[in-house]
Amino acid sequence: MDLFYLAIGAIFVNNILLAQYLGNCPFCGVSKKLGTSIGMGVAVIFVATLASVFTWLVYHYILKPYDMQFIQTLAFILIIASLVQFVEIFLKKQSKGLYNALGIFLPLITTNCAVMGIALLNIKHEFNFLEMVIFSVASATGFALAIVLFAGLRERLMISPVPRAMQGTAVALVTAGVMSLAFFGFYGMVQ
Amino acid sequence: MKFKEALLHGLWKDLTPFRLVLGLCPALAVTSSAENGMGMGLAATFVLVFSNMFISMLRKVIPDKVRIGSFIVVIATLVVLVEMVMKAYFFPLSQQLGIFIPLIVVNCIILGRAEAFASRNPVLLSMVDGLSIGIGFTISLTVLGSIREVLGAGSWFGMQVFGESFEPFEFMVKAPGAFICLGIMLGLMNAYSRKRGETFIQT
Amino acid sequence: MREIIRLVVVLALICAVSGGALTVARHTLAPRIEQQSDFYVRGPALERLFEKPAAELLGNKIILPVGDQTYPVFYLADGDEIIGLAIEAPGPGGYAGDIVVMIGIDLREKRMIGLEIIQHSETPGVGSKVEKSSFRKQWMGLPVDQSVELTAQGGQIDAISGATYSSKAVVSGSNQIIELMIRHGDEIMALIETKEK
Repeated sequence: MDLFYLAIGAIFVNNILLAQYLGNCPFCGVSKKLGTSIGMGVAVIFVATLASVFTWLVYHYILKPYDMQFIQTLAFILIIASLVQFVEIFLKKQSKGLYNALGIFLPLITTNCAVMGIALLNIKHEFNFLEMVIFSVASATGFALAIVLFAGLRERLMISPVPRAMQGTAVALVTAGVMSLAFFGFYGMVQ
Repeated sequence: MKFKEALLHGLWKDLTPFRLVLGLCPALAVTSSAENGMGMGLAATFVLVFSNMFISMLRKVIPDKVRIGSFIVVIATLVVLVEMVMKAYFFPLSQQLGIFIPLIVVNCIILGRAEAFASRNPVLLSMVDGLSIGIGFTISLTVLGSIREVLGAGSWFGMQVFGESFEPFEFMVKAPGAFICLGIMLGLMNAYSRKRGETFIQT
Repeated sequence: MREIIRLVVVLALICAVSGGALTVARHTLAPRIEQQSDFYVRGPALERLFEKPAAELLGNKIILPVGDQTYPVFYLADGDEIIGLAIEAPGPGGYAGDIVVMIGIDLREKRMIGLEIIQHSETPGVGSKVEKSSFRKQWMGLPVDQSVELTAQGGQIDAISGATYSSKAVVSGSNQIIELMIRHGDEIMALIETKEK
């Protein structure tokens, strides 16, 4: 499995947000401003990668050997929630600036389906450690890319003459749909 | 909140995922067919009702510091149970819904209602609230799924609706269709609600 | 101090109840889940290979353990004679993980009856093309004692254009099965005989 193609595939072809439908809540809620979107994107890349590493390790060294795979969902979400807590505490002490910049996003990332989704996909696709890291970083980057692009579009939309009923989330969703369609152009780029 | 209000608010006033913008991921992902939408809605409703019930029962016992953590354990346990029951009794559906069944655990609706309602209200009321929001969610998903299935595959709940010559809008059952369909539905709801004189979503 | 104790006790209790409930559920439901998985996932494949109803074939199942892997094997009996086998094995190297394949074997002719894809996570429309019968029928009639290869590597299987990884995974899966037949054929027959008694 060529790692480069894995990364490209995860960012563009199977974009975690536009093709795999993961991470939509923050997508619609947060992407109104470019600045906040970049912050969210970076936070997600960081948390998703860490979460993937930990969940992968727990799965392969604890759950699988003891035949406890069915408890995967519970274990993973607890790991993610704890991780986010630790990161929050750590940032609060070490880097006040970054902590303030990320603000409310950090706790929100716990319920971000993208993070949990990436962790689950790593197991589903049976990646080894290196593939898992690459896939996680790439998928989260795909999320960040989509959300930043989207924020740019939304800032434009706010000053466009959109029909009143469609203003806000409604037209944002339609725009996301068109973006998703555009990303379909990457199909066939890999394999 | 009174009983009647709790019973009805999830069906229009706080309809998810449209008026209460929560639970978008599954709404987009599993609504490629009406059956999947309904299945997901019902599974999520089950989890929602019982998580509200347990969390409400324990609301005076759980210390504030471990609130979110405890909620997560309760919700995740229910989700794993639902996962197992679905695999045992509704296998094809569980295969179709795939990773979105475990993803119910991060469905913002459930944690959201636990935090906003169940942790501050009596048991029966919380269960009713859960039922109301859950049914609303199920209806939304089923309708969305139906539209996408009929236009995108020419069938409804697996039954052929149009004749042989119908060329389905295939993109409807794929990602772009989901976003666009949801957006237009939301727009229509906004227009309708404006006509009724309510304030609408302007996120 | 009291607060911390309360914290820990409450959490521990919740986790204990949760753990208990899940373990009970698992014990009760696991056999049924396995059965459903067989019925929906392997049933149709078996039906296509042996042209007999799945209900008849699903009961004829043994598990072949090799190292820390287990391989499900289904068999077809004609009276007392075992005339067919269907062995399932994962083929690593697919674009998105293993592709699980099942090969039907005619024991009398010592040839392959056909190949079925049991499970895959390949890209729909690209890698998923390995499910097409035009690709899979290349396995029909091949001898069970020789490994297969893609034409690009000098063999007899044409890969699906644009889905090289997926095709390779199916080939590795089939070679695993051929290996199992060559190395553990006797073990398989012995396990079946024990089961039939």
